[in-house]
This record gives sequence, C-alpha cells and structure tokens, in this order.
Amino acid sequence: MAEAGADIGRVRIRLPATISKGEVIRVRALVTHPMEILSFDKDRKPIQKNYHFVYQIVVTYNGKEILQAETTQAVSQNPFVAFPLKVTEPGKLVITFTDTHGKSYEGSAEITF
Amino acid sequence: MQCALARAKLTRRGILRALRLIGSTGVAVSLGLGDFMQVAAQQAQRGMPQPDEKVDETINRLFGNRSIAPADGKVKLEAPLIAENGAVVPVTVEAELPMTPQEYVKNIYIIADKNRRPLNATFSLTPEVGQATISTNIRLAQTTDLRVVVEMNHGALYMVQREVKVTVGGCGG
Repeated sequence: MAEAGADIGRVRIRLPATISKGEVIRVRALVTHPMEILSFDKDRKPIQKNYHFVYQIVVTYNGKEILQAETTQAVSQNPFVAFPLKVTEPGKLVITFTDTHGKSYEGSAEITF
Repeated sequence: MQCALARAKLTRRGILRALRLIGSTGVAVSLGLGDFMQVAAQQAQRGMPQPDEKVDETINRLFGNRSIAPADGKVKLEAPLIAENGAVVPVTVEAELPMTPQEYVKNIYIIADKNRRPLNATFSLTPEVGQATISTNIRLAQTTDLRVVVEMNHGALYMVQREVKVTVGGCGG
C-alpha cells in the first residue's frame, strides 16, 4: 500500500483554465500520501508502524485561512479534496497537508485574471 | 457538557477537543483495551489513534443533544449507490445554503455509520469560499449509511442520510 515511496507529499492543485473576477471557482487538490490504516494485531493492540495519515488540511488565500479540514484514516489513499473559492482579487492560494508523522506538505497556486 | 456547549462560541474547538479526549479515554477503559488506553492517554495532540466508536456516540460527542433537522433538499449528498471499491468512494456534498458573513455554513461532517470510527472528515468553512460544496474520497468498511451533517454558524444542524452499498471493504479492521 505504501509504494508511493519518495513521491509522498507531492501536492497537485488544479484550477479552472479561465477565471473571471467575482466568480466562484472550484479548486481541486490532491496530495500523494499512503494514508496508512491503523491496524490491530490479534490481541487488538494497535500496530504503530502502520500509523501514518494526513489529519489536517488548511487552505489559505492571500494569507487568510479560508478552509480547514480534519481528516481521519477513513479518507482514501492520496487524499483528494475539491472546494469552492470566491475570487475577488488575484492572489496566492496555499494548501497545507499535515500528517501524523509531523510532516507538512504544501502546495500553492497563483490566481490571476 | 451543555454549559460548555452554550459558551462554546469562542473556544468551541478547544472544548470539543477536550471532550473528545475525555470520551476516548473513557471508551477505552470500558472496552478494557489496556494498551489502547495508554495510547489514548498520550494523545495530547490531534491525529493520534482513537478507539472504536458507535455512530450514536459519535453523533452525541459532536452535537450533544442538539436537534438535527432533515435537510429537505437544502443539502445534497452525491455518492455512488453501489461502491465497487470501499477504499475510494467519491463523495460530494452540496449545500444550497447562504454563504454570507452573517449566515454561513460553518462545518460539514461526513459520517459513515459502520466504520470503526464513524467520523470520516470534518470541513470547516468560512464565508470567503462563497459556496458550500465539498468533494472528497472516503473509505467505507462495509455497506453502510452515510450521513452528512451541515452546521450553520448560528447553530442550526441539517442532516442527509443515504445508504451506500460496498462490495469490497476499504477499512481494514
């Protein structure tokens, strides 16, 4: 399941091809991440080494936090989110994914008209 | 707990987190999961392992005894009727509710009844996003009811519920 290997943490963001001012656009973001499931051995003890998933997604636009998500292991491998964004001014969109190993993965996109 | 919820406006997240911590420790004790309890006790930070939970407990933990109204078309839940692969189930939540600074959708909870830990994901929105439409991919352990609860900034709760049939489960355990 964890064959993603070195690719872990690659964030991809897709925006519509044309954006006009004041429009509500749809942003799609994806991070390569194994989202490993916490497994149990036969004594119902959690196996710690399998425990590795993205638990927080924060989206900022021009430095202002506009959306935040708390995810669990019940989100698929290579977590994908799509959300709307009302663009009133050009700016920088930053999406940060944080996982349970304390690593953060950041992706950004410039929004221009 | 009610008192805590009443003054939750400022530090709602903090209180919820504290309740979650208390709740998870309690459940672990009652299930007799000795080692798991230790893990739960150490979980000072978010994103640490949490014990199994029944969906009623999840709903209770998140919303207490606040009343949840049926969405009546205000919230649409798009998910496959039959998911061939429980590991990747695309879900779209579309709430036709106002998104203005005065009245907006604050939180969207995605809950799968029969998952080991029913709360799949929580999205916290702000009026800046302009529209409350969220898509993501989730895992479903087995055929289950999927619930989406939408929380407005003034506290109103709307829920949609639908069954998703799963042919191959996606959550080990």
